[in-house]
Amino acid sequence: MAQVYFSAGLRDLTGGVAQVDVQASNVRRLIAALDEMFPGIGERLSEASSVAIDGEILTDAEYESVPDQAEVHFLDILQGG
Amino acid sequence: MALTEENPGYKWVGTRPIRPDGLDKVTGKAQFGADLTLPGMLFGKVVRSPHAHARILSIDTSAAESMLGVKAVITGSDFPDLAANGAHASDIDVANNAIARDKVLYEGHVVAAVAATTRELAEAAAKAVEVSYEILPHVLTVDEAMADNAPLLHENMITKGVDPAPDQPSNVASRIVHERGDLEQGFGEADVVIEREFTTKPVHQGYIEPHAAVADANNDGRANIWCSSQGHFAMRAYTATVLGVSQGTLKVTAAEIGGGFGGKTVIYLEPLAVRLSQRSGRPVKLVMDRDEVFRATGPTSGTRIKVKMGISNGGELTAAEVWMAFEAGAYAGSPVGAAGMTVIAAYDIPHFLVEGYDVVCNKPRVAAYRAPGAPMAAFAVESVLDELARSIDMDPIEVRLANAAVEGTQASYGPKFPRIGFVETLEAIKEHPNYTAELGPNQGRGVAAGFWFNAGMNSSATVHVNENGTATVVTGSPDIGGSRQSMALMAAEELGIPYESIKPVVADTETVGFNDVTGGSRVTLATGAAVVDACRLVIEDLRARAAKTWDVEIDQVEWVDGQAQHVDGSQPPLSLNALAAKSGRTGGPISANASLNARGVGAGFSTQLCDVEVDPETGVTRVVRYLTAQDAGRAISPDYVEGQMQGGVVQGIGWGLNEEYIHDENGAMENPSFLDYRMPVASDLPMIECSIVEVPNPAHPYGVRGVGEVGIVPPMAALANAIKDATGVRLTDLPMTPIKVLEALNEQSD
Amino acid sequence: MKYAAPSSVEEATSLLSSSPSAQVFAGATDVVPQIRGGRQAPEVLVDLKKIDQLVALTSDDKKWTVGAATPTVDLTENPGFSQEFPGISEAAGLIGSDQIQSRSSLGGNLCNGSPAADSVPAMMVNGTRALIAGPKGNRLVDVSEVVTGPGQTCLDSDEFIVEFEIDRAPSLTGDAYLRMIPRTEMDIAVVGAGARVTLGEDGTITAAALALGAVAPTVVRVTAAEEALIGTTADEDTLAVVAAAASEVCNPIDDKRGTIGYREQVAGVLAKRAVLIAMERAQQRNGNV
Repeated sequence: MAQVYFSAGLRDLTGGVAQVDVQASNVRRLIAALDEMFPGIGERLSEASSVAIDGEILTDAEYESVPDQAEVHFLDILQGG
Repeated sequence: MALTEENPGYKWVGTRPIRPDGLDKVTGKAQFGADLTLPGMLFGKVVRSPHAHARILSIDTSAAESMLGVKAVITGSDFPDLAANGAHASDIDVANNAIARDKVLYEGHVVAAVAATTRELAEAAAKAVEVSYEILPHVLTVDEAMADNAPLLHENMITKGVDPAPDQPSNVASRIVHERGDLEQGFGEADVVIEREFTTKPVHQGYIEPHAAVADANNDGRANIWCSSQGHFAMRAYTATVLGVSQGTLKVTAAEIGGGFGGKTVIYLEPLAVRLSQRSGRPVKLVMDRDEVFRATGPTSGTRIKVKMGISNGGELTAAEVWMAFEAGAYAGSPVGAAGMTVIAAYDIPHFLVEGYDVVCNKPRVAAYRAPGAPMAAFAVESVLDELARSIDMDPIEVRLANAAVEGTQASYGPKFPRIGFVETLEAIKEHPNYTAELGPNQGRGVAAGFWFNAGMNSSATVHVNENGTATVVTGSPDIGGSRQSMALMAAEELGIPYESIKPVVADTETVGFNDVTGGSRVTLATGAAVVDACRLVIEDLRARAAKTWDVEIDQVEWVDGQAQHVDGSQPPLSLNALAAKSGRTGGPISANASLNARGVGAGFSTQLCDVEVDPETGVTRVVRYLTAQDAGRAISPDYVEGQMQGGVVQGIGWGLNEEYIHDENGAMENPSFLDYRMPVASDLPMIECSIVEVPNPAHPYGVRGVGEVGIVPPMAALANAIKDATGVRLTDLPMTPIKVLEALNEQSD
Repeated sequence: MKYAAPSSVEEATSLLSSSPSAQVFAGATDVVPQIRGGRQAPEVLVDLKKIDQLVALTSDDKKWTVGAATPTVDLTENPGFSQEFPGISEAAGLIGSDQIQSRSSLGGNLCNGSPAADSVPAMMVNGTRALIAGPKGNRLVDVSEVVTGPGQTCLDSDEFIVEFEIDRAPSLTGDAYLRMIPRTEMDIAVVGAGARVTLGEDGTITAAALALGAVAPTVVRVTAAEEALIGTTADEDTLAVVAAAASEVCNPIDDKRGTIGYREQVAGVLAKRAVLIAMERAQQRNGNV
């Protein structure tokens, strides 16, 4: 099971829930599973996010595998200069 | 000497050879965007709105079209209406910013463009384009834009990130929020609570080279573009979007670039140049003058930021509450998101609430500027932290050490930090002789720190071995900070041949695989990783060629110091030269590609120490000593790393002391030139001393962390803290000009 | 646009009379930006630098004569001139930048008519005279009469300044120029102050001149301060009067470079400081030229 954390900005879609445990082999499946739990969150997560898996921040990470016990955070896409 | 992580015994990485681009740049041979001339080329000139907010009633181009030498005139109607085609909101904004359709949203907004046979004729034709406007009321600051009944820039803008969503449109595009713990509890646990409000003005990236593009369109819809940019693949994508064509029809070559700092990660002239070239049937060159760069290209946001923080007598931060509003300019997209994520990220604070608003206003659309969003946020928090430290009589370095994020700290924006070097930068300052250097009369000392994520993203590289045993390293990352040298150093290290034998090249969109923009402090890490991967593939191939030559299995061959060696020494070694010379006989030319989405991005931290002298009768502030300590992970090219550290500091000093956009009541910029937009000049500054800290990033083959951006994050607070130390006055409004300093001093003595 | 390079004053005045839209220039460091910025479009540009008198720098036992088109670097690098008029020299050394100073001139700096021109307060306090040439002959006027308003001079369209005369400084005389800018270079003066004092044998001030730039439509003399300084050693109380008089005479504007309040306050500060430096220099000049 991966531990997924929701930032404050996402909690309007999770009804205030800040953390859930989810089983999924990769990020895409993780988002799909989350969307079943919290309808509508899938679009938001796919659209605007980078993902941090065990502290490593990744972009375009849909097919990234999600290790068991991994800590997963969804972040806004960042722009550098 | 044992090889350790601290001393890996590199031969090339970490050295200071001569930079590959220097000679051409100082002799004038380097080809920048405005240097290209093609046969039959026309000169373009852009027609821009004189009004901050207006409806375009009509555009009459007939006079301009009939003028001598004029070969094309275009307006918004010459571009597809992306909104009607159901495009993404962000693409629609890019297209509308490139050229206005029914409304102009800032002074300088593109309304039309002409191409003529000479520059003077183009300028005369631009003046002859007749535009009739209905002037609308405008808003220039977050306060004005957020006020009740403020005139709206976009009739349909409903604030995102607010629950429930507002039922009325406004100028607030979105809200971000980060939260942890219980604020009331946190402030309850504090012995001292300090609350301050800060304002900053828009400042420009100030690159020395104005935007320039040359476009040459063919009859079959293809076009070649040469432009000054930080990322020609991104320019290709944006330009294709605005023109409504497939990316494959455009070929973009990155010219040598004279600075970008984030301001050249977006398009301005490219789609206009292509369309003018298509309409006229000739190549078209468009170059901005400095006035246009200021009026019409993105500065970074002006802001209002409120910070309330609590600390215990023992020095632990207990709570932080931050409210921020950032100017986005004409279209949504200020860096308030990154500001929200970085504002307290350097510290471990158990209870916090961070709220930020992205607000549109009638100014040019903001563009990225070196660690976008972070410098303003740090100005606020590092100033308040300084006050908190003073209130409990704690040394500013000690208070930061007491609360610093370390490996395993849960960052304010979510994930746990991997190995980071913040504490090491604090200690580097503390142990440096500057920290205890004597201060003279009217002098003061300030400390501030900063954090930036750095980016990874996509890069591609090709390494060719030439017949004479040299190697060409081809990437698609425009060089704005010394990346060519860093690539060559890493390639030399991998291949085991001299740095002088490596030629680093930046190729166009047809000749190298995809590369994201040069920005986000990502190139040494990501493009470097691609170069390393490509070199390793080349080495594997070289081993295979040696194996073939010796008629042995490949596992009998090692690559050491630039030559193939047999594991038991039963063959004389084969140099790269020798293998390259007969590569045709062993399988063909030797080259390899690598493409990747970089992993293992390492965050960057900077701690800075600033000494100032303030003239108490005129308010003039001079920086007398400046030291910056930054964690570079591993400095591949120390010369360039220092250059990036110093560059960030100098831009931060300008931002803190004198730079600002000044507008008149009509929303027109009053100071669009370097005379009155005051960037630091060489005589303004002491040598910026650099302490390169190396806490290697465990996830990169050479331990690299990006260095380009974080240096600009601390200086404004470091200056404010130093001015406070020198004079006793706390300034919270940037820039801290002599006028403001003197006013504060006058108030203090009243 | 035509370019003409007369080799004599007569040739130049004749060119100016016969061309309705002619503009003289020396270094062109103001003219070129103005043409590029569309603020003027002369039909003939008249280059004054080929006229020997215009680019000369000479002295005799009565006066220094500086060609109106002499590059300011010639002044700053001339040890004799800089020793005798350190105020004019340091003011000339603040115009623009080092690169600009290889071309800029006192004539151009004056006739551009900016209230913030760096060389004008220093020229004024030294009683500099301008020799103006025109088709009707030459006339000599005090430099303070040349600029009549922002961007305006007393010159007719067919006149130009040939050279400046500055009487040799008596012994125990010193001058100084200070300006306030937010950076260290490359800014237009927010306040400029030129001062000159002459001391008697007893060390008190026998003559004083103080002029302020960038705080009024033209450079202004602070006569109340000058009068207050006579007979004193520029002690603290006198300097307070000088500062107050300087602030009082200001008639500045609020603009992107400075506010009215700031200019008034800093005018007083610079006036004091310039007088003190002029005093120190005067004390060191015991008659050696």
